[in-house]
This record gives sequence, structure tokens and C-alpha cells, in this order.
Amino acid sequence: MTASNEEQELKDRLSLIESMIAEGRRTTTSWGWIFVFWGVAYYVAIGWTAYNRWPFAWLVTMLGAWLLCGAIIWSKKKSQPQHRPCTTIGRAISSIWFATGVSMVLIFPALSFSGHVNWHIFVAIVAAMLGLVNGASGMLLRWKAQIATAYVWWAATVAACFGSDNQCSFVFVVAIFFCQIVFGGYAMSCEARARRLEANHA
Amino acid sequence: MPELPELNPVIHGKLRLALLSLLIGVEEAEFTWLRAKTGSTDGNLGAQLLKLEEAGYIAVEKKFVQRKPQSLYRITEVGRAALTEYVQALKQLLGGAIGA
Repeated sequence: MTASNEEQELKDRLSLIESMIAEGRRTTTSWGWIFVFWGVAYYVAIGWTAYNRWPFAWLVTMLGAWLLCGAIIWSKKKSQPQHRPCTTIGRAISSIWFATGVSMVLIFPALSFSGHVNWHIFVAIVAAMLGLVNGASGMLLRWKAQIATAYVWWAATVAACFGSDNQCSFVFVVAIFFCQIVFGGYAMSCEARARRLEANHA
Repeated sequence: MPELPELNPVIHGKLRLALLSLLIGVEEAEFTWLRAKTGSTDGNLGAQLLKLEEAGYIAVEKKFVQRKPQSLYRITEVGRAALTEYVQALKQLLGGAIGA
């Protein structure tokens, strides 16, 4: 084997390592739809509350959304042909979202039943929690678009503490639109692009 | 002139190198996933995984999920260190080759 052949083989080994590491970390799991799904669920709850002021509209909508979302994730997982391996970053992100979800499921019904909550506090807590979870995920993934949604949620947290009820609702609706619907749609388009690339690669 | 390092023969095999590189990026991986990513046959993949396991570079956990056998592979600390050393040796060799 000549020296240049040997050098080329070593370079091939190095690029094989790089491509395999990237391949292992590549994920084509779809999460963008969850942002859109919850954005729509928030709008349903807001609309329902505005329509007939039923005090449990949020509780019922959120519980229904939890069940439906869980069922969709479960059926998607079951239909996957093979078990996808978990990366440390992936587990960190899903842990943050799961823990935030549990916190929300505990705090809001408790506040609602105890009567120690008003619209401003509710929106401020939701926005702060979503700012935290999106900020942490965005920083872990080094994804500027998601970090931007965290800034929007944090701005909504502060804004929700001031103004009238209607202004607070307006802030919430706008934040949901940008951080759930628009960002979710963008994430879905990124995922579709990644899936196309993987199909071409295969 | 500094002595050039030798490459670890257990890792140097293309499929074994690909397997270790895949496993370093994930917590654990199933046999079928490794097969899909490397495009190798069951027999060859099983043989190469066994070699890595015998060298202590990977660990395997065999279990049953819904009555189906499942083999989960993960890279060990020894394997991680061996791959890091291999990459350093490779870079050193390439540096030497470029410098020559």
C-alpha cells in the first residue's frame, strides 16, 4: 500500500467516526405537532371560558388535551418499526418537559379549587413555566428559534402582571400564537426536511 | 523524531469502528437499530459486536419485551477511552503523514 493510499484510508476512518457519531445523534422524532396541539388546546380553553365563564373550562380542556396527547404519543411510539436509542440530551429535554407538565397538572387544579388564583396570576405562571422549559430546551439544543420563544414567554410573564384582564388575555393569545402555533409549524417543517434528508440518505 | 502511535486493531476494523462511533453518541442501542445504521448482516454484526464485547468496549443487556428478545448495547468507559485514544492516534498519524 502506498503512503498516499494509507493516508487516504486514515482520513476515511476519521470521516467514518464523524459521520457515525452524527448518525447516532440524529433524530427524526416529531415534536412540532405537540406545540401546535397545545396552542390549539389553550385557544379552546380561552374561547370556552370567554363564551360561558364556566369555572372548570380550563381544567376540563387541559385534562382532555393531556389524555388525547398521551394517546397520540403512545400510538405513534407503538407504530415505530424499531426502538430509537436515547441520547443524554434527549433524555434531559424530555425530563424537563415531563417535570414541568407534572408541576402544571398539580398547581393549576389546586389553585383553581382553592380559589387563590386570578387571571393575571394564572397567565403569569403559565408563561413563566413555558419560558423556563422552552429556554432550557433551546439552550440544550442550541436552537435559537426556541430560545426566542422563551423570551416571548418571559415578556408575557411580566406583561401579564400589569393592565386590565382584556390586555392580559391579549398578551396570552399573542404569546400562544407565536410560541405554540408559529414555532410548532416551523418545527414541523424542520422535521419534514430532516425526514426527507434521511429518506434520500437511505 | 517522535515515534508514531500504533492503531488499536480491535477498533480499526471498519464495522467495529462504526459501531463504537454510533454507540458513543447514544445511551444504549438495540441490535436492529445498529443493523439499520450500519447496513450489515445479522451474522457479521453479531460477530463484530462479540469482539467488542470480549475486549470490554461494549456491554450487552439481553431481555424480553412483549415476549420478543431484545439486545441492548452500550459503550463502556473502557470503550470510550479506547475510541478517544484511537482518534488521537489517528490524528497524530495523519499529522505525521501531512508533515512528512
